[in-house]
Amino acid sequence: MSQPALVGVHDLYKEFPIHGGLLEQLSFENGRLIRKRESVKAISGVDLEVIKGESLCVVGESGCGKSTLARVIMGLIRPSQGEVTYDQKRIDDLSMGDMLPYRRKMQMIFQNPYASLNPRMTVQQTLEEPIRFHNPDLSNSEIKDIVVSVTKSVGVDPSWSSRYPHEFSGGQRQRISIARALAVDPEFIVADEPISALDVSIQAQVLNLLMDAREQRDLTFLFITHDLAVVEHFGSRVAVMYLGTLCELAPTRKLFSVPRHPYTQALLSAIPKLNQDSSEYIKLKGEVPTPVNLPRGCVFHSRCIHTNERCTREVPEIKVYDDTSIACHAVEEGRI
Amino acid sequence: MRKEDLVALRDVSFTLDKGERLGIVGESGAGKSVAAFSILNLISKPGYISGGEIRFDGKDLTRLSLQEMSEIRGNRISMIFQDPMMTLNPVLTIGTQMTEALHAHQQISKEEARQRAIDSLAEVHIPSAATRIDQYPHELSGGMRQRVVIAIALITKPPLIIADEPTTALDVTIQAEIMDLLMELCNSSGVGLILITHDLGVISQMTERAIVMYAGRIVEEGDTKDIINNARHPYTHGLMGALPQKTTPGQRLNQIKGGMPPLNEIPKGCAFNPRCPLVDDICRTTRPDYTTMGSTRVACHKALSEES
Repeated sequence: MSQPALVGVHDLYKEFPIHGGLLEQLSFENGRLIRKRESVKAISGVDLEVIKGESLCVVGESGCGKSTLARVIMGLIRPSQGEVTYDQKRIDDLSMGDMLPYRRKMQMIFQNPYASLNPRMTVQQTLEEPIRFHNPDLSNSEIKDIVVSVTKSVGVDPSWSSRYPHEFSGGQRQRISIARALAVDPEFIVADEPISALDVSIQAQVLNLLMDAREQRDLTFLFITHDLAVVEHFGSRVAVMYLGTLCELAPTRKLFSVPRHPYTQALLSAIPKLNQDSSEYIKLKGEVPTPVNLPRGCVFHSRCIHTNERCTREVPEIKVYDDTSIACHAVEEGRI
Repeated sequence: MRKEDLVALRDVSFTLDKGERLGIVGESGAGKSVAAFSILNLISKPGYISGGEIRFDGKDLTRLSLQEMSEIRGNRISMIFQDPMMTLNPVLTIGTQMTEALHAHQQISKEEARQRAIDSLAEVHIPSAATRIDQYPHELSGGMRQRVVIAIALITKPPLIIADEPTTALDVTIQAEIMDLLMELCNSSGVGLILITHDLGVISQMTERAIVMYAGRIVEEGDTKDIINNARHPYTHGLMGALPQKTTPGQRLNQIKGGMPPLNEIPKGCAFNPRCPLVDDICRTTRPDYTTMGSTRVACHKALSEES
């Protein structure tokens, strides 16, 4: 790739233990005392690079690890294995203090504006806090000026900034949380389902706002969503995740015109479309396996119609075809 | 009606033929759930139905006693809710919850009820129904749970089902399966369906007729095809236009300015007038009546004609 990556994720694993304390791990089986440790494998081996200036969308269904990926990249949780880089420097093992300059450059927008804004802080306080924290030298009036300009830029009247979050509608609240992310002038924004909780007409407003901000401030986005229609509109590249692994990574237009991975194909065909009968979609057999006991081989093999013996045995590696990366034996062997 | 009451629904009228599938679309707060819940008299206090009638099978449901209403609920009209996690009781097995509806409405032996439950689980394509029936809701996935909810709704063979956002909590691939299942069941047993959703794609695939609601009122009603392709009301038109699918990727989306007014601040005249691109003086003063245009009935002074 010609341009260097702004954010990189290399061979990332994240497991969450669910086994509890030592006593809870012990059990009797066949007359023997056994210690069992279990964990949810939220991410198992993801490699990903976000190029400066692009909007990389991560899509997948609930439980595929897309939000965990976002949180690991932001440094909100530490990876179990693998590394996260920013501007070619490793950041996942930094101390809190060393991480600070990166926290200003990387900001996050959360899904639910009802939960991500502190109900006991006014908009003014909410927006001032990160600015003051990251720029301790600024005077009060300078901070106030930034707050005014950033609230204006997200389409919220600055004279409302003495109000509390509950006095705003869902769409306006999401504007405020976008303003909070933009207030410290970041380079990279992770947006975790930023419009999923909003109504259709408000979704359009907020999506337009994000696109404006992206243009004016030259932002790089990692956009997490399950809504493929939004992806087609917003993303420059799309990464499709399934059960903690990456299935396919392709330029948006290409992914939507020629999806290659069988899971991507099923996912795209399942979107309810206007003026189409419901029965024209690829039916997946079975259900998503539990991330506690991942299937052997390709994690998708139990539901895939192209499965052969190799898929049940061997984990497919990501292979690059032109500008598309796909992890699938069937594609590699030319069966699809 | 008392003076300080908030009016959640105003002058809502619609009919549903036997076996027809009707969609109700609208954004949060438009009154679509209140409209559907009113049919089963499930309006929670202090809300009440202040006027009008709801006719089902020739009876006015608003005048029935509690007991008469129980005979209708779950027996003649069933309901499917959004979140199967909340609808199913976590401490009862699926079998118990399924047979409960049968025992409540029919004289039926335990064995027979159990068999009926197993049959209807099989009907919603749950594999190994005979063992699943003794499981608890947490042992099933989200899609499976919603299938169980549908099976419970259908077990008494009601002529009408009201589904409130039945697929909103589910992933797209599961949503497609559940929609498929609902369609199949409606077609095979001639069940009527009132489907409430905010997803225009779902409406387009599932229903024959659709109602668009805004701020407690029906703004447009007609054949789903016409609503989707040939919207007459500027709100419906804007809603369709705001879908990302309708714009070239990368371009700004068409947006409707502002948001839906809260119930206590509904503007005079047409409730949509502050957001409407076609607003005129009459819109600010007079509430529009319904006019019929082709298959659609629309409440707008400026209803869009065929060409626009």
